[in-house]
Amino acid sequence: MLVRLNSFLASLGLGLWLMGGIVVLMAIGSFGGGGAESSSINDVALLVWLREVPIAYSWWLWLTIALLAVLAINTILCSIASLRSKYQRGNFLALIAPQVMHAGFLFIVAGHLCSAWGSEKGVMTVREGQAIGFPDGSTLTVDNITGQLGDMGMLTAYQAEVRAGSGTGASPTFISPNHPFFLGDFGIYLKDVQLFPERLALVEIHREPGAGLALAGALLFTMGNVVLMALRRGR
Amino acid sequence: MKWLLIAAAALYLFGSFRRPVFIAALVLQLIYLGLRGAALGRLPLIGPQDTLAFFSVSIGLMAVPFLYARGLRASSSFSWGTGCLAGLFALLALPFPTLNMPLPPVLNTYWFELHVALAFFAYALFGVGALLAGMFLCNRQKPLQDLQYKAALVGYSFFSASMVSGGIWGYYAWGTYWLWTPKELWTSILWLFYSLYLHLRLQGPRWEKVVAWAAIAGFVITIFTYLGVSMLMKSSHSF
Repeated sequence: MLVRLNSFLASLGLGLWLMGGIVVLMAIGSFGGGGAESSSINDVALLVWLREVPIAYSWWLWLTIALLAVLAINTILCSIASLRSKYQRGNFLALIAPQVMHAGFLFIVAGHLCSAWGSEKGVMTVREGQAIGFPDGSTLTVDNITGQLGDMGMLTAYQAEVRAGSGTGASPTFISPNHPFFLGDFGIYLKDVQLFPERLALVEIHREPGAGLALAGALLFTMGNVVLMALRRGR
Repeated sequence: MKWLLIAAAALYLFGSFRRPVFIAALVLQLIYLGLRGAALGRLPLIGPQDTLAFFSVSIGLMAVPFLYARGLRASSSFSWGTGCLAGLFALLALPFPTLNMPLPPVLNTYWFELHVALAFFAYALFGVGALLAGMFLCNRQKPLQDLQYKAALVGYSFFSASMVSGGIWGYYAWGTYWLWTPKELWTSILWLFYSLYLHLRLQGPRWEKVVAWAAIAGFVITIFTYLGVSMLMKSSHSF
């Protein structure tokens, strides 16, 4: 019984069906049901969103997660089976490269799971000189909000100075689009500024606990991919 | 400057069955892209006109190694097929206005340019793969299937790298490496579909026809991800 279950879960055929199933479910979800950008899905952690919205709206995502969980098991078992059957046969790099890609994929899935569990997002408008308080008691002061207007009147660049902690001892740092400031687990992002009649900054605070895992997974996947490509070159 | 694009499209459509004409059309397009990039001070990757032109150039550029590959050197139909594909997208770019506005600050990063350029190289290779799959279905020559697999594998690698660079850019720009938008869903669909395609090949020679049809279906998904999502679905993540 266990042997049959193992061979079923480790089969390539199951992996193909699971990938096909996820593709179809995500395609359905993209036409509504939370995949739409207007949805609140991006404002809260995914698992919180899934608990809050009716199942009629989120069924496709529940099913996608279920299939992804089985696909993760399938990936692990397929990798083990491949390593066992091809060990001591052929090139070590050719054997290990696809498994490194599989490991990268699993890290990315784990990263998404961490973020789905514990990500946080806050949006606020801050006046020049105003301080933002954090749950651990630390503060961040936003100052010197500046921007450059282009020929067409659009803001072509903008930035603000942030200072962690209180007092003048803390050294200031500038934040601007693509250049956030990190304070502990939190990232502070400057989304927009208003220069007139008073200087205001639209600030977003994000906590993305799965980012490190996802990046590690992406690097592993890329490494495996590059090695695989080098090995297949000329064949 | 648009005349360069028109001339390239004409050469692609009416003369690309000869490889030197194909290369001449590509050179014209590269000159167009270079001039446009010099005028803007960045890679022209914003708006339908620039992205369609960039996609067309990518098809021409990615097809070059295949034009000289063993198994295709004697074939004029591959060169003409990819030429028609590149010419078609060059023509599609023409009716759209050029956007010469300064880059919004959030797009002003090398991560964005890397993300978009790699995605178009991948799209182009998926197109080349689909064309080779069509040729394989017509005459069942084994080298065509191997080349089709190579195109898809290299395209998949470019696409994966594009997703990684997009994730890094997203983390620095928006605070998250993933947003639930139709474009990102379809990007994941495309990536998963090509993962499926590459694993499908492991099923053995009996699945050759299915693999070839999957390559064609993959390019349909590619076009929907690029154009369909932008035109039919509401997403900030489009051109």
